[in-house]
Amino acid sequence: MNLIGISINHRTAPIELREALYLSRDEITELVAYLKENVLSCGFILSTCNRTELFGIHKYGKIDFNLILDALINFKKVDGISAKNFEKYFACSAVNHIFQVATGIDSLIIGDSQILGQAKEAFQLSEDLNFMDSILRRVYDTSLKVGKRAIKETKIGEGAVTISFAAVQVVEKIFSSLEEKSALVIGAGETGQLAALHLRDLGIGKLAVSNRTIERARNVAEKLDAEIIPFENLKDDLHRFDIIFSATSAEGLLIQFDDIKNVMKKRKGNPVCLMDIALPRDIDPTVRKLDNVFYNDIDSLKVVVDQNLKKRQEEIPLVKNIIMEEMINFYGWYNTLDVVPTIKTMREFFESIANDELEKIKNKVGTEEYEKINDMTRRLLGRLLHNPTMKLREIAEKGVNSEEVARQSLLVKSLFNLNGNDSYENEINEEINRQL
Amino acid sequence: MLNIIHILNLLLPVLYLITVSAYYVDFIRKTAKLQNLKRYSLLITVALHLIYLLLRTIEFDHLPMTNKFEVFSLLALNIALCYVILEIWSDVRETGLFILTIPVIFQFLSSAFIKDLVDVPTVLNNKLLGIHVISALLGYSGFAVSAVYGVLYYILYKELKLNKFGLVFNRLPSLEHLEKLSYYSVICGFIFLTFAMIIGIVWLPQAFPNFSYLDPKLISTTVFWIIFGVGIMAKAVGNWYGKKVIKFYLIGFVVAMLSMFFANVLVKSFHVFY
Repeated sequence: MNLIGISINHRTAPIELREALYLSRDEITELVAYLKENVLSCGFILSTCNRTELFGIHKYGKIDFNLILDALINFKKVDGISAKNFEKYFACSAVNHIFQVATGIDSLIIGDSQILGQAKEAFQLSEDLNFMDSILRRVYDTSLKVGKRAIKETKIGEGAVTISFAAVQVVEKIFSSLEEKSALVIGAGETGQLAALHLRDLGIGKLAVSNRTIERARNVAEKLDAEIIPFENLKDDLHRFDIIFSATSAEGLLIQFDDIKNVMKKRKGNPVCLMDIALPRDIDPTVRKLDNVFYNDIDSLKVVVDQNLKKRQEEIPLVKNIIMEEMINFYGWYNTLDVVPTIKTMREFFESIANDELEKIKNKVGTEEYEKINDMTRRLLGRLLHNPTMKLREIAEKGVNSEEVARQSLLVKSLFNLNGNDSYENEINEEINRQL
Repeated sequence: MLNIIHILNLLLPVLYLITVSAYYVDFIRKTAKLQNLKRYSLLITVALHLIYLLLRTIEFDHLPMTNKFEVFSLLALNIALCYVILEIWSDVRETGLFILTIPVIFQFLSSAFIKDLVDVPTVLNNKLLGIHVISALLGYSGFAVSAVYGVLYYILYKELKLNKFGLVFNRLPSLEHLEKLSYYSVICGFIFLTFAMIIGIVWLPQAFPNFSYLDPKLISTTVFWIIFGVGIMAKAVGNWYGKKVIKFYLIGFVVAMLSMFFANVLVKSFHVFY
């Protein structure tokens, strides 16, 4: 298989280069047009802010990484980027790498759940641009299967691996039913928005947002169907919320010990969860001394994230086993590709003999008799060819041993002189060399 | 039938041990396979335990509460049954290890020392006494289960306050869940104990000529019955939450255990049967 590919990722390049090389949908479309015209017969491009992958099969079967590397670098001119920022893959290693990417074990955040969807989009775009062939389509189907199996059969995607999600995980250890709880998110920046989104996804009963700039709070509130708490009145409303996330960029402490003490008085000791995911911190950490106040900051939440990442790391061997199983299945299918033309030629050969013979007797017997002989001949052919056909398929599907597949195919060709070449030995050697 | 009883008597502690082991392994490793397997094991064990006690009742013609070791077995079943109901109701499957360890101990003691008594004192053959004792044991079982949930609540509370995210954090259900489980167990225990007390008040004066309302067991039972009652009202009416209300249940349980110990072991009472 002449599949070749290049990959720029967190192992090979710093974030600035990876981000700079990111290709939008339109850019991919443009680059694919060039590649189709000049380099590849088929392929796909997966590009995210963390990685760009370009895989394909050369028009004339050439194994030359520089051709696709130059095409990419020349298309997206990024300062400081060079060939050493790319990993190169060929044939089996290329398929293995694509599967690893699909399962998320090759991601910066191990088990990243978004990558499978991104891979799906990349293949889909390639299909839309008429840049796929049957082999790549099979790679795509199998990579989706591998990705789904990894999620279902292992714990590779379990546990929070971002600070805001870890905070939500801690909240879930305090309250059982979030639909009966209310949450306030202070700060409408990226972190605050992410926290609010997680809470909304988990079905929080009431969600409110507060931000120094009211417009930003309004934007988030509209998106997530949340209430807006004016920043000036913040402290008067704190007691109404069971969960408070703070993610502002304020320099000093926003919420003092006494503020929470008052909150607890108003709440009659009803538990409150404070998630200070700001840097520097927004909430006085001494509030954790108060009964039924659960306070967490970035440092403590990072412990949860690290633990979950470690657990995911432990799942990698299981995911690799799944990849290996699917690689075997994939190559089982791939090896049948060599057999299919042989079976087809063999059947055509027998059909042509049968047709010749039928033609000879056509005018010597009546129509009714001819039909009977014709039917019998077809049945005879079917029965005679059933076993060799099935045997060839079986060898191909079972085997990862492509030499055996080649030998059997060529034996059949030689026995029936299917391509008119008597030099069986020579052909075997040529075929094996080609496979290798 | 006697053979079946003897076989079950030997089998039950082993089954409880297997069940608790399954809960233990699942608590430590969290495996999908054990999630259902451990529940089936528990249901089979409880069903066989129920059959065992029914067979004993039929074979020996009295309820299995005529000696300490029959009561231990009954107590083991009650606690396990209480847990089964809570697990099915809440679908919280991670706490079984802590609750079911109690039936393992009681059933081991019972199976080791239980005797096949046919002739028992007439007073222990009374049906009202049977209902009284079974209700009281169900009440104590409810309080015991509640106490275990209370302790688990405190452990998780402390872990969360100290930002420790270990095994307890990963495996136990939320604080709110634990509080609910503790609360419902107390309510169950309180209802059964109230029922036992009513039957006792009706039947005891008739059965015992030396009956006295100043009996230490009656007084101590009334004391912790009041404590639990106040605890339940505090949550239901006074909107008490979390640690405060859990503390109340734990105090109630400790008082209950201490008063039972004093009333049964240290003080002479008409109310001590074994």
